[in-house]
Amino acid sequence: MTGPDLFKGHVLSKGHAAPSVPMSAGQQVLQASGLTRRFGGLIAVNNVSFEVRRGEIFGLIGPNGAGKTTLFNLMTGLTPPSSGTLTFGGQDITGFAPHRVAGLGIGRTFQNIRLFKVLSALENVKIAQHARTHAGLTQGLTGRDRAEERLVDERAWALLDLVGLAGRAGEEAGNFSYGDQRRLEIARALATQPQVLLLDEPAAGMNTSEKGELTSFIRRVRGEYDLTVMVIEHHVPLVMNLCDRVAVLNFGELIAVGDPASVQKDPKVIEAYLGG
Amino acid sequence: MDFLQTYGFLIVTMLQQGLLGLSLYFPLMAGQLSLASPGFYALGGYIAAIMLTAPQFAGWRDALGSWIFPVTWLFSALASAVLGVIVGVPALRLRGIYLALATIAFVQILQVLSLNLSITGGAVGLFAIPQAFGFVDRWQYIWIFLPTVIVVLLFAHRLQGSRVGRAFRAIREDELAADAMGIPPTRYKVLAFVIGAVLAGVVGAMSAPFLNTWNARQGTFDASIAFLAYTLIGGSRSMWGPLLGGALLASLPELLRSLADWRLVINGLVLVVASLYLPQGIVGALGRLRRKAPPQRPVTPSTPALGDTP
Repeated sequence: MTGPDLFKGHVLSKGHAAPSVPMSAGQQVLQASGLTRRFGGLIAVNNVSFEVRRGEIFGLIGPNGAGKTTLFNLMTGLTPPSSGTLTFGGQDITGFAPHRVAGLGIGRTFQNIRLFKVLSALENVKIAQHARTHAGLTQGLTGRDRAEERLVDERAWALLDLVGLAGRAGEEAGNFSYGDQRRLEIARALATQPQVLLLDEPAAGMNTSEKGELTSFIRRVRGEYDLTVMVIEHHVPLVMNLCDRVAVLNFGELIAVGDPASVQKDPKVIEAYLGG
Repeated sequence: MDFLQTYGFLIVTMLQQGLLGLSLYFPLMAGQLSLASPGFYALGGYIAAIMLTAPQFAGWRDALGSWIFPVTWLFSALASAVLGVIVGVPALRLRGIYLALATIAFVQILQVLSLNLSITGGAVGLFAIPQAFGFVDRWQYIWIFLPTVIVVLLFAHRLQGSRVGRAFRAIREDELAADAMGIPPTRYKVLAFVIGAVLAGVVGAMSAPFLNTWNARQGTFDASIAFLAYTLIGGSRSMWGPLLGGALLASLPELLRSLADWRLVINGLVLVVASLYLPQGIVGALGRLRRKAPPQRPVTPSTPALGDTP
């Protein structure tokens, strides 16, 4: 069971899927305006404004310490912004707790992989379906969650299929290779049934051929699940090849946004990368 | 019946302490080290003792007969749940050792209150609590505690396999990642805490008639440490761990009675050896010997195919 029907039409997704705001292609899904985050005297993210359009793959690049991961944390509620606003599908979600953001339909992976390491791959993917299911304590105890549990199980297996890990469903996530852990994290993020998927350095630790596979994988997933993807990546060729648009952060400030070719030629970007 | 006459009290005590070990296990399922159980245990016991001895409740006792005992359990459960939420919501903002300290403080506060209130009998406590269901022998409490152990184990087993149990595990492994995956950590931490509180409260209500008297020595810092030792020795990652740890440690002083004062030394040695060589407890160590069967993929012909959906 792979393909676009994985979630759609499922008994559970009726009324429980992320509230989808009617948006046609090219419309903005996410809008950040004036997002700022200070840590003491350090301004990690400084007055950053941008918008992400529905269905695009939006790259976020910049030198180490530019504030990319902090920006992701601001967007997913892990770090509250010092100022600025964030809207998702027209709704102001500034300051929302992470689980609310996830529930609304923004899923993510982590730069420093945060799988539930001692739990099995299957369980990792089951856990992430939490916001899309609703069996409470009493249903769980009385067995009235059986239908839901079966679907959770089916979806989890289908997602493991998608990332090629179904054969190792019972193994502890912490035992997987670096690349496999990154794949499993993507499966786990997809299990939250996001509209927007934030990938924090998904290619880190992968070799060249794996990076190539990742590119086509992200494209495929975007198409099949009707996703908008935002990706932090250091590997410039991958970004240029994968992304529809790219934003460049440097010292917490957004210095360029645009299609990969023009951003690459931007003098400010060249300066940021080569030092000035 | 000679065996029960001799060891009945010990067996019931082992079951009772096993249950109290389990009351720490539920918060631990969600990664929360709470030492509040003795507080709820004392509270439950006081509620039962008051309902079973106070003249104000004489009417209830006459009307309910033996049903008064389950009613005391119910009231203790309700009171523990309410107090659990009141204490849990602020306390569970704390993590790790700070939560443990806050819950110890909670136990101390309840102890001081019970020493000073007249309804709890002050320092003397409450005594002459009638035997449950007209039991004439202590071992007969096995008919209360054994079914309770079975019910709690079944409860824990079902819980573990459910959505709520998965949320607990996710929070235990990585609270931040769980949050980012859509699980509200505070709600589930409070739930896990309250389940443990209710269990401790009910065990207290069951224990008041069993022990015949109830006083401020029932909910102490020492008990917090004892319950913690149950989970450390038995293992905190399986429901069998705290049960086994509680039963084992409750039986040690009795089994080593012939050693007189040396038994405390042995007790201490067991603790030290267990924490050095069995970091995951006895059940954790045994669990590593057993290979887990790989999960079975469901056979699902019912999967909606492409274009099948309305």
